[in-house]
Amino acid sequence: MCSINERTRWGVTELRLAFPKQKEMHFKDLTFRYTEGEKILLLGPSGCGKSTLLQVLSGLIPSSVPMAIKAKKKEIPSNWGFIFQDPETQFCMPYVDEDIAFVLENRKIAREKMPDLINHYLNLVGLDFPDPHQLIHSLSGGMKQRLAIAGVLALEPDILFLDEPTALLDPQGTEDFWQSLQKVSNNRTLVIVEHKIDRVIEFVDRVVLFGNDGTIIDDGPKERVLKQQKRRLVEDGIWYPGAWRDHLSQRIQTKKLPDYQATVLTLDRFSVKRNGHIKCSIDSLMINRGEWVAVIGKNGAGKSTLLEGLKRLLPTKGKCIWNLTHPEEAVAFVFQNPEFQFVTDRVDDELAFSLRIKQCPPDLIRRRVCEMLQKFALASVRGNHPFQLSIGQKRRLSVATALMEQPQVLLLDEPTFGQDAKNTFQLLDQLSELQQQGTTIIMVTHELEIVRHYATRVLEIDAGRLVSNAHRDRGSGSEVIGNGHQMDEGEKLVSRN
Amino acid sequence: MNQSVKVSRTLNLTDILVTIVVSLVFGLIFRLMGPVYDLFKSFGLQMDALIYGIWFIAGPFAAVLIRKPGAAFLAETVAALAEVLFGGSGGIVNLYYGLIQGLFSEAIFAAVFYRRFSLIPAILSGLAASAGSLILDVYYGYLTDLAGWNLTLNIVFRFIGSALLAGLFPYVLVKGLEKTGVTQLIRPVSKEDYDVLNK
Amino acid sequence: MDIKWTRGKNWLAEINPSYKLLIIAALFIVFLCVDNLNVMIWSSLFFLIVYLMHRSIPVKLSIILLFMALLTSLFSMTAMTLFGKGTHLLFQFGLIRISTESLARGLMLGLRSFTFGMLSLIFATTTEPVPFFYSLMQQCRMPVRFAYGFLAAFRMLPMMAEEFQILRQALKVRGLSRAKGVAATYNRFKRYCLTMLVQSIRRAQRTAVAMEAKRFSMTEARTFYYSIGWSRYDFFFSLLIGFTVAASFILAVWIPLTPFVHVLDQY
Repeated sequence: MCSINERTRWGVTELRLAFPKQKEMHFKDLTFRYTEGEKILLLGPSGCGKSTLLQVLSGLIPSSVPMAIKAKKKEIPSNWGFIFQDPETQFCMPYVDEDIAFVLENRKIAREKMPDLINHYLNLVGLDFPDPHQLIHSLSGGMKQRLAIAGVLALEPDILFLDEPTALLDPQGTEDFWQSLQKVSNNRTLVIVEHKIDRVIEFVDRVVLFGNDGTIIDDGPKERVLKQQKRRLVEDGIWYPGAWRDHLSQRIQTKKLPDYQATVLTLDRFSVKRNGHIKCSIDSLMINRGEWVAVIGKNGAGKSTLLEGLKRLLPTKGKCIWNLTHPEEAVAFVFQNPEFQFVTDRVDDELAFSLRIKQCPPDLIRRRVCEMLQKFALASVRGNHPFQLSIGQKRRLSVATALMEQPQVLLLDEPTFGQDAKNTFQLLDQLSELQQQGTTIIMVTHELEIVRHYATRVLEIDAGRLVSNAHRDRGSGSEVIGNGHQMDEGEKLVSRN
Repeated sequence: MNQSVKVSRTLNLTDILVTIVVSLVFGLIFRLMGPVYDLFKSFGLQMDALIYGIWFIAGPFAAVLIRKPGAAFLAETVAALAEVLFGGSGGIVNLYYGLIQGLFSEAIFAAVFYRRFSLIPAILSGLAASAGSLILDVYYGYLTDLAGWNLTLNIVFRFIGSALLAGLFPYVLVKGLEKTGVTQLIRPVSKEDYDVLNK
Repeated sequence: MDIKWTRGKNWLAEINPSYKLLIIAALFIVFLCVDNLNVMIWSSLFFLIVYLMHRSIPVKLSIILLFMALLTSLFSMTAMTLFGKGTHLLFQFGLIRISTESLARGLMLGLRSFTFGMLSLIFATTTEPVPFFYSLMQQCRMPVRFAYGFLAAFRMLPMMAEEFQILRQALKVRGLSRAKGVAATYNRFKRYCLTMLVQSIRRAQRTAVAMEAKRFSMTEARTFYYSIGWSRYDFFFSLLIGFTVAASFILAVWIPLTPFVHVLDQY
């Protein structure tokens, strides 16, 4: 390899790039260069083009992803691997061994050598299957992303590009991913785009901060950039270490929650079936009005099944009694992927839809729609197609549509999943406000901090059974933090997760 | 910089995968929407011919979406091969039907030199596919041995159904997809996009 | 919904998949030219026996699939039987005109559909996609871009099925399922298609990019993880099919069960 002073440098000089059908170019004469062995983190608000730049740096744009670009100089490395965000779309074969073999086939490696190599690469990322002939579909998101690393390692790359690899993983998956990556990152150049930086910051040395318009605002050693640009990190919604602490400290101490004694939901020997099998059952449970219930548990434990059962979206057995006049309308449901809920071609139509079906007077509809557009910061995009919104806007729209009929109970399936810090905090503030007004909130979540600071009750589901039902003191988050006993219990619950 | 915007006419990997996947989506939706088709068929009154067009939807849809040679044929072949692999009711027979329908569907877009992917070619493509299926039905289904009125019913229903379900509907769907922005992922870079770079 | 539904090892699963497809596809041509009802009756019986003898799927599933194939065959003969041309009238009621000819032709269609149903089920239950496409690449020179494209797409089927379920629930929650009438039905159908298509197109595009990021080349030569070759089972399979077809032709002459030797002739 090269000596220290003549390390290879790659990058782009005066890059210009235009997204399809845009009047203005996104990158205007952007120059970004990096050196062999560097470990770089690219930061910036969503939509600033970090991921796009990563694809330009690897040469995927324009060879695999056609896009209008030109540059004075492009130095594209030849020996790189790319790990993408979505765990579902990195593989092309049904089985684990076959997918790594796919890479080996591309490299024209002899068949006889393949089985040993497959085991070798799987071992590197800590995936020790007794038989690597495993269905990829049966793996968890975290395991899939580690398999993606193994697949990329099979290319024997010098440089790794990572495009928000843990955005769609739960906390455990995220931790496992970075552990695996750290093990294989020695002697390799890393260029990482990531929003959740509290873990990755440990092993990068250079941080590049982008602005909304695709320009580089700051570039330098991580300690300096993070310290000087703290305000920007908050604004850009980046999950920096301590983001939760900062948000909770400036949260306005709301007045003590009204204590409603009325029971809103009673479950008695309740079970929910999915595909003909009972996937979740609860012997007995009562939930009061105005509670914030967090449903936690491992992937596949039956959390979503329970939520869908409560809304009668799946066949159920036993008693599920809503103490409401019109449970059909008064219980609203927000799905994990907002796109599935969208039924029209415009944001405002989307909001008006449920009221139009009920044939509410047009005046009322117009007023409600305007109100919600303001409240959820969607007024500027009211004429857009819901699918064209940003991730945060899509989430806000899906919550807003659920609130149009002024429900008394809100069921949410991992509403903060994949959201940046800014959107997460906004959403939680809005939900807190609803809870203040007496709305009952039942949400499935993996986020420990929500469980700690917002929930008044924690239900833990394991293998389809309710294994713990921890009630908490009512009040705002900080009071709960002070309560040692409650805290320990919450910690215990989640660490088992 | 004068970048000559030359749009490649050959299917790249993205085009191929998208084409294959969309035809599987159609197959899945029809399968899961329930056994409506068989219900239609049971009366013998050729009602099934009216919705026969849903089997050709993939071809015209893929062509209008991808706008490249081969997309329509590939889409129909995929639908047929999937049927063979997953043991659909027609199985092997559908492989032949798929190939012929795909060829006929493709032929319309070839006839306009792959320059137009508007409503009229889409409808013609759907009609062509149904004409293709008719040819096989004459041999395989003894179509000409049906009573005159029944045969007429079959043919008329089939063509009406194909024009609507395999011509108009795919066109409407692609227009709907364009509004969602997803088509930008698969359409080639336009000259306008390059012009923006020279501002 | 799983891509793999074969269970355990079965000698039919050992046959070269391309060869198996070729033989079964060739049988289509053979039976297309047959208009002797007796041949069709005997061959339906023989292929039914082959289907029942091969044990690659659980018995219960096997019976369900058989029943569905029977139903399809029944449906495919209704139009011809009830409304076919013919002079020797057996039964008439309104538009329904069953004649000896229409009955014979209807039976012919039904049995043919049944025979192919059996063959298709044998093929589908003993063939897995991965070896099938590896064989198509190795024996039939199928371009790699199509073969891997197919495999990558098949991998998405379970995800699509899951999505369909979620979509159905979501549309129910939004009240789209409540609306009645033709316009609402059309709207609902369109929404199903659009949302499923958007998800799938995005997924397909990302997968294609990921494959190219793993240095998949559409043009260069490559090695193969699985080598699909030939075995004695291919010979056994040829014998089995050959005997079955020959036996139906011979028995049709020896023991003609019906007088319809040429169903297309006028009697």
